[in-house]
Amino acid sequence: MPFFFVFLVTPIAVAIALYRRNPRRFLDGPTEDAPLRLLRWAISLLSPQRAEWGQAMIGELGHLDGRLRRLRFALGCTGAALVLPPWGRATGALWTTIAITAASFTIYAGLAFHYQLGAGSWIALAVVLIICVGYLLGASALLRRPGVALPGLLGGVFATGVGLALSGFTAVDQVTYIPSPWQQWVRVIAVPVAIGAAGTLWRRDPAAGRRVARLAALSAGLLQLLYATVAVAILGGGGPPDEDGGFTVRGTVSDRLGNNIVDLVVSTLIIAMVGWAAAALAGRLMRTPVPSADRVQEV
Amino acid sequence: MQRNRPPSPQTVSVLLALVADPARWRYGYDLVTEVHLKSGSLYPILVRLADRGLLETSWEPSVDSRPPRHLYRLTGAGREFVAVLTAARRDRTVARPHRRLNEA
Repeated sequence: MPFFFVFLVTPIAVAIALYRRNPRRFLDGPTEDAPLRLLRWAISLLSPQRAEWGQAMIGELGHLDGRLRRLRFALGCTGAALVLPPWGRATGALWTTIAITAASFTIYAGLAFHYQLGAGSWIALAVVLIICVGYLLGASALLRRPGVALPGLLGGVFATGVGLALSGFTAVDQVTYIPSPWQQWVRVIAVPVAIGAAGTLWRRDPAAGRRVARLAALSAGLLQLLYATVAVAILGGGGPPDEDGGFTVRGTVSDRLGNNIVDLVVSTLIIAMVGWAAAALAGRLMRTPVPSADRVQEV
Repeated sequence: MQRNRPPSPQTVSVLLALVADPARWRYGYDLVTEVHLKSGSLYPILVRLADRGLLETSWEPSVDSRPPRHLYRLTGAGREFVAVLTAARRDRTVARPHRRLNEA
């Protein structure tokens, strides 16, 4: 039930967020072309010390004609904006995230090779790689936002910890766990709500809370993928069969790895979505009207 | 702490393009086309050069509702750096001519 609720509400919430950001977009269509929108997004990720360089890229794009040329230029600048220092303390966090992802990917590849899982598994591995690179890019952008890294990563650890506490910490628990209804509510609603609300309260800013929720979702997804992949490596084709497991060793391992990919995407989406909504709601509740006397004094 | 690593071949090509006419202000996209670098490689190089005081930047006023454009040229220190770099590269190729053959 909570899963269906989240997946039903997600597209509606995204549409509302886009409409609130720019209502004219729905009436007149986008006012800027894709390369400019992409570059505007990318330079918003730059640290304040590099803001001038972001404006330099926008200025240069403004003098380029031809859709392909503009797109190539904007894509290059986006890549540069994503990696341009200074990173400060976010560097350590990013390297940790990269190490976790690399470990998952290496174990996954090792299992695919060891059990000779065939072409399908290598395709799945490529899909995992694309997803993980996307997660890392998203995390790298969020980590550079001031005050987001620590609460976001703690949120990811918290979500992973609660998930493991509910399922059990052993490898067998990872492949046989079927959550009860109340556990579903805890995983899908309570934990993401706590992360989003805590993010907003921590920074006293709903925008920061939403970023914290997104970073927590990405880091939790990557942490859970590592844990679940290690669990498959420990069990191999042994242990009790998972619910729709294959009938051969290869089939079972392949099936468990596939389940991990689905879990990675689903848990990330749920934490990001519900946490985002909770952060926004907490921001709304936190906002208290300023008494008129104070307002006069401020002037 | 500033590291004193030798510049990458891409950085050298940007420096050489800028030093060809050191008084002239250059646009970013001009450099992209001249040195055949992608914008994603060029801008980090320009940022590093500016951070090291080798590159000066300026803004060209906006024309016809287009946004203002950033301009680049080498500083005095930048020109000196390129002169030293060029001399060092010349000395190295004279000292080790077989390297030049290999590079070719």
